[in-house]
Amino acid sequence: RYVRQLQRLQLLFSPTSPDSRGARQFVEEAAMDFARQHPDVVLYVSPRSGRAPVLMAEYLNGTVREELINSKTSEEIVQLATKLARQSGLDIIRIRKPFHTDNPSIQGQWHPLTNKPSALTVQGPRLQPK
Amino acid sequence: MVLLSAPRWLRSRLTDRFWRVQEVLKYARHFRGRKNRCYKLAVISVRRAFVRSTKARREKKRFLRALWITRIEAASLEHGLKYPAFISNLVKSQVELNRKVIADLAIYEPKTFKSLAALAQRRRQEGFLAALGDGKEPEGIFSRMVRHY
Repeated sequence: RYVRQLQRLQLLFSPTSPDSRGARQFVEEAAMDFARQHPDVVLYVSPRSGRAPVLMAEYLNGTVREELINSKTSEEIVQLATKLARQSGLDIIRIRKPFHTDNPSIQGQWHPLTNKPSALTVQGPRLQPK
Repeated sequence: MVLLSAPRWLRSRLTDRFWRVQEVLKYARHFRGRKNRCYKLAVISVRRAFVRSTKARREKKRFLRALWITRIEAASLEHGLKYPAFISNLVKSQVELNRKVIADLAIYEPKTFKSLAALAQRRRQEGFLAALGDGKEPEGIFSRMVRHY
């Protein structure tokens, strides 16, 4: 069954500064709808004065992602929050290969002696049975 | 004339020059010489590195295909077959494996590769018989193809 990889979403904003206007509007209007639409997402709202507004997402594997929401509208914050809620905590870097195996070889990996006749089958002048 | 109000001097200074410079230098950290430290040299080198990396994506496909072909050739020579004979006979036996997969098989599954080489060899012999010998079909024939529509 699907387990949401998002541990918690923390919305830190300042109650007075003009950058957090979008965050404040989000808290007043859209936060309840967001919480109802995503019942398994934990949203913490903490107003702290003197701080740039930030949306912090913590995931089950420990990664913490902070997104600045300076002067963003309420809709953009909703979109950001849904995007973070759907992600897993893996780093966003280029994946080198889309596949991975711990046991790549079943028949035994090739080594220079795989296709050479072994000592049991070689008929040389020294190995003839007496 | 008396100035009654002090003028407000508004100065705007560039305060994040450090981070703008680091954005470029972080891609130049593994370069050699002063290009990894000095911004003026690093800008040019980083741009050229990006251009080369985008162009090299087309070369990478050619390079990897040549690598696979070399590996398949080496593996099939161990079993006594040359690369053109191996590939052409596999194709004639309707074995649609690409070179990447055959190279991986040759490394990680040597017995499977040996059986593929034996199949190609048998198909080759049947081809020679069909061309040179009389019209009799050998037993356990591999050349008669099954068509699925």
